[in-house]
Amino acid sequence: MLQQDQTEERLRPLMIRSLAGDSGAHRELLGVLGRYLRSYFARRIGAAEVEDLVQETLLAVHLKRDSYDRSLPFTPWAYALARYKLIDHLRRRKRSRHVPLEDAGALFAADDAEQGALHTDLDRLLQRLPDRQRSLLEDVKLQGLSVEEAARKRGVTAVSARVMLHRSLKWLNQALRDENG
Amino acid sequence: MRTADLIELLARDVSATPPGVVSRRLLAALVAGGLVTFAIVALVLHCQPLAAAAQQSWFWMKAVYTGLLTVTGALIVRRLSVPGSRLGTAPLAAVLVVLAMLALGAGQILSAAPAARLTLWLGQTWKICSPLILLLALPIYACLVVAIRRLAPTRLARTGAAAGFAAGALAATLYGLHCPEQAAAFVATWYTLGIAAATAVGAISGRWLLRW
Repeated sequence: MLQQDQTEERLRPLMIRSLAGDSGAHRELLGVLGRYLRSYFARRIGAAEVEDLVQETLLAVHLKRDSYDRSLPFTPWAYALARYKLIDHLRRRKRSRHVPLEDAGALFAADDAEQGALHTDLDRLLQRLPDRQRSLLEDVKLQGLSVEEAARKRGVTAVSARVMLHRSLKWLNQALRDENG
Repeated sequence: MRTADLIELLARDVSATPPGVVSRRLLAALVAGGLVTFAIVALVLHCQPLAAAAQQSWFWMKAVYTGLLTVTGALIVRRLSVPGSRLGTAPLAAVLVVLAMLALGAGQILSAAPAARLTLWLGQTWKICSPLILLLALPIYACLVVAIRRLAPTRLARTGAAAGFAAGALAATLYGLHCPEQAAAFVATWYTLGIAAATAVGAISGRWLLRW
């Protein structure tokens, strides 16, 4: 319990800064969450599927973060989201989707920094994005350009590049969900 | 794509989010859906003479009953649209409001002359009351579904039921602008049944409609 309190004290401020637009805090939060998610999922599904589900859940945390209420604890929010993604994953694969409702501590019991094997669901889906969106995403992802730099390179305004990036991420999230569904 | 690359990508897509998004979106959905339903009530069913009705206690009895259910329903939807939040006392409050209305209706029936009881209970419109409330709830329910999907419900059947309940209660409130029935026993039965039907539709369809 004490350990979970410490997790809460560490993660909640990160989440609040992330919601305020601090991308460094956002990066750190997703990094820490990813390690907990990996360990949580690894105890519940086959090793070959873990990393894809970690990525899918991180994308969901990212896109759904405005549903977090800043006056409430963060760890139950993250746990409920992770559990939902796990149940959804099992349902799509037509497996028993009984996942006991545990304390949020179940997610934060252990962490694992070692990335597992990838099916690369995301890479496959990336190929289905419209060219303009895909090239923008690849500029940002592979070449590490900032959104502004990528926008200049592609000759669009920074605002529309931001919108395009956000739309692409939402589309990927949808496509991941619909794939096996 | 490595997970580290994905995180790097997501960190480029950070923009400031103002607090209170959840309440604002749900409220906007209730207003938008409520306007559609109000338009149907006003243009298709027509309002009763409101200046005269507003002088009567039965008019406000209906408005307070369905209004309280709308508020409690909206609070439950709000809780269920946020992962991991507790339900709190709103469901209990909704149950108590319904029980109080049922008691009021039963008291009215028991204290009436036996010959007048059936008329009190069925009024003139008992056959159409519940189905109309269910139909009027649909535009509100649809707007709520759109808003909730953009949030993050994790218990879909329950969230759908709550959305159907809130939509049914708001629809019943607006239907009260048209419906000239005056008996507490009528409202306790047929209004409540209409709201219950909307709740059931939400519970069944939420499982599919609310997936994200």
